[in-house]
Amino acid sequence: MKYAFFQGCNIPIRIQQYATSTEAVLNKFGIELQVVPDFNCCGYPARNVDEKAYLLPSVRNMAIAEKMNLDILVICNCCFASLQKAKNALTKDSPLKDELNGYLAKEGLQYNGTAQIKHYLTVLYEEVGTENIKSQLVNQFNALNISVIHGCHILRPREITTFDDSFVPKITEELLQVTGVTSLDWRGKLECCGAALAGINPELSEKLLHEKITGAQTAGAEFITPICSYCHLQFDTAQKNMADVNPSAKLLPVLLYPQLLGLCLGIDEQKLGVRQNSTINAADIARIHSLLGPPVADKKKKKRKSAAAA
Amino acid sequence: MNFNILNVLTGIAVVVCLVGLVFRLSIWFTQGIRPASAPSLPTLSAGGRIVAALQGALQVLFSSRIVLFCKSVFVDLVFQKRIFDKSFLRWTAHSLIFFGFILLFFMHALDSLVSASLFSNYQPTLNPFLFLRNLFGVMVLVGVGLAVYRRLSMKAQRLKTYASDWTALFFVGVIIFSGMLLEGAKISSFTVYQNMVDEYASVDEEEAKALEAFWVEENGVVSPHAVQPFSAELIARGREINGDSCIECHASNRAAFASFTIAKISRPFSAMVGDAAAVTIFWYLHILASLSFLAWLPFSKMFHILAAPVSLIIKSVTGDEINEPANILNRQMIGLSACTHCGTCSIECSSSMFYETFKNDFILPSEKVQYLKRFAANKEHDPGIVKRMQQGLYVCTSCDRCTTVCPSGINLKELFVSARYSLLTAGTPETTMLSHFSFPLALAQNFVDDHLKALKKVTELFKKNFQHLSDLTSPITLGRPSPFGNNSYKGCFSCQRCTNICPVVRSYDNPVEALGLLPHQIMFSLGIGNVELAMGSQMIWSCSTCYLCQEHCPNQVELCDIFYNLKNSAINKIEAGASS
Repeated sequence: MKYAFFQGCNIPIRIQQYATSTEAVLNKFGIELQVVPDFNCCGYPARNVDEKAYLLPSVRNMAIAEKMNLDILVICNCCFASLQKAKNALTKDSPLKDELNGYLAKEGLQYNGTAQIKHYLTVLYEEVGTENIKSQLVNQFNALNISVIHGCHILRPREITTFDDSFVPKITEELLQVTGVTSLDWRGKLECCGAALAGINPELSEKLLHEKITGAQTAGAEFITPICSYCHLQFDTAQKNMADVNPSAKLLPVLLYPQLLGLCLGIDEQKLGVRQNSTINAADIARIHSLLGPPVADKKKKKRKSAAAA
Repeated sequence: MNFNILNVLTGIAVVVCLVGLVFRLSIWFTQGIRPASAPSLPTLSAGGRIVAALQGALQVLFSSRIVLFCKSVFVDLVFQKRIFDKSFLRWTAHSLIFFGFILLFFMHALDSLVSASLFSNYQPTLNPFLFLRNLFGVMVLVGVGLAVYRRLSMKAQRLKTYASDWTALFFVGVIIFSGMLLEGAKISSFTVYQNMVDEYASVDEEEAKALEAFWVEENGVVSPHAVQPFSAELIARGREINGDSCIECHASNRAAFASFTIAKISRPFSAMVGDAAAVTIFWYLHILASLSFLAWLPFSKMFHILAAPVSLIIKSVTGDEINEPANILNRQMIGLSACTHCGTCSIECSSSMFYETFKNDFILPSEKVQYLKRFAANKEHDPGIVKRMQQGLYVCTSCDRCTTVCPSGINLKELFVSARYSLLTAGTPETTMLSHFSFPLALAQNFVDDHLKALKKVTELFKKNFQHLSDLTSPITLGRPSPFGNNSYKGCFSCQRCTNICPVVRSYDNPVEALGLLPHQIMFSLGIGNVELAMGSQMIWSCSTCYLCQEHCPNQVELCDIFYNLKNSAINKIEAGASS
């Protein structure tokens, strides 16, 4: 299976490790990702300003994928929601579709809506499947407490994103379980990281982020796993910026999901770019490695098998 | 030919070129773009900036970075890897023009200085020089052809072409083509042939006839009296005499393959004006084109011949990490002067679709750079252009692709950040600041104070332009519902679930004071037809767009989407007011 790899604007320049680790993990399962230099911004940054300006870029991206006869695989939640929103808006509104296709026609592109938009977690969950992942595990974490923050735009509005149950999301949780980590129940799990307000209402943005950091730490998290690239930048870059002002604050290091899973699949830590997360230090990495051990589930199975044999 | 005229014209062109070069180079050390308020940057004199530049250069020369310098010369300047990486077509076009033109310049234009001193037997009429001149010329022409094709075919990919871009290609093309016409006219000219015979060959009448027959047959001379076809013996005899008298200094004209072919086209012209006059006319055309190009070079984008190598080497040895304030400005201005308006940045720009919807050329990086030169010189005061430039600088996803792909190695990112805050501090409030384009800027923490000040300016503009609940003195009345994109607010029955779940409302001790209207109150104002009041509430700009309200609404009111609509309408209204 091959996908057009939609990285958006932030990942290629600010979070390369998210792209490389996702690709490394998916390659393990025979899923190929093709980088498409022609892709442009998903449109999300313009959403406050103008709805059409917000939709057109995603329509162009989907038209490019269509032309390549590929579905799109997305990492960033905001890109994912923008692409899904554009698809949804154009299904409902055919005059708008014609109007936006008018812009694309200049470059010989046309949007018909045939390319599917998939979040990488959906691909891991539905196409690869947790059983399949489990069968390839070389390691598993033992007693590693992490807080996951799902990110708003992958879950809501549910009619648009159609990713998972927006109140009790299970895809991410089950995928986390596979790695053996303990995904804590904590208040900020389904809430906002503050990214959408950064640079617009800085105080409020920091407040929302700070609330999440302390919330996760209070719940006992050693690491935070942000799904969205905006959340990642909030926890990995904005948290660092905040710590520069307030050095006494305890950093909550970031570990991305494909990094967690990649370590369990035996992929080299360097390749997963764990050290590129700016909130992580050598002690954190040593701690991660100390908690990695042989997969437990397999042992149980073997036991069961041997019990059945006996 | 008339060497006095040539000397005078060359003198004028060289002087103009030198004056131009001094002028362009002085800009490197006198102009710059930076926010007026930046306190950490002292006023820098031109002298101080030149010293800083020299210090920087010396530091590179006497450090391990000299290796990077040498590598850059081969990889970036000679091989032009940055062009190669992005477009094979463009690399082919540029390499053909670059190598063809440079080699012609040294081998042919400066032949008395270069070729004659390198090769003791140099004669422009001997091979390989005769052949190479044509080869290099054809290389340039093919390159120009490819460049024209690229500019025409990439128009749909937002590659903008100015008259100045066509002029540059036209100039280069005319220089080469006129040179070929000149050589072709000389090839067919009987006068030129006769002069050479008189000067170099001592032949009797019979031998002269044979030699002429050979040159007409083999070398393309157009004789006014010799009648073809010639007998084979006559030509054979001519070949013999040619071998004795000519070949030592003059190879076969067929080696000048391009000019030899072109001569066939220019022959009717020579016949019309006379062969000697045709040579003179083409000579003037070629000389004037070449010298005008030389004089024009420093004032045009062709200045990149000098600036782009400097810019590329700076990029390579510093990795775009420059801390010395003087050198930051020097780097900016070297970068601006190195732009060739090739459009690579705009083709790859992640904001390209915003350019389509905002209808603002300045969203494309290549177009920004052209005008930033005027801003750096403090020459741009048209409020309309300043406003559009400000928006163009802000509607940017900060993906840095432009900087990564620029074939001239310009640090566009730094230029745009400085220019953005330079305009924001001085200019009018920028409504696009209230978008997620602000997110990467907040992360990068450049010019933080300037950002906050500009943000304050735009929030105040909104406060001034819209009604607020606290300003109302008379009781709110029910109005006619105004047409509004999303009608789901009609389902609101004021259960306040939205307000209760909102993480933003929760963040304030006194949310009504901080936010103006709470989410359910915004739905209520829409319900009574007061869109103005809803647009004026701080709540819509403080919305974290987390969609919790919308997801939890028991009656499917699309609150977050409605907030987006309100934000769009509010910005629209402000912009309409600003432009009217």
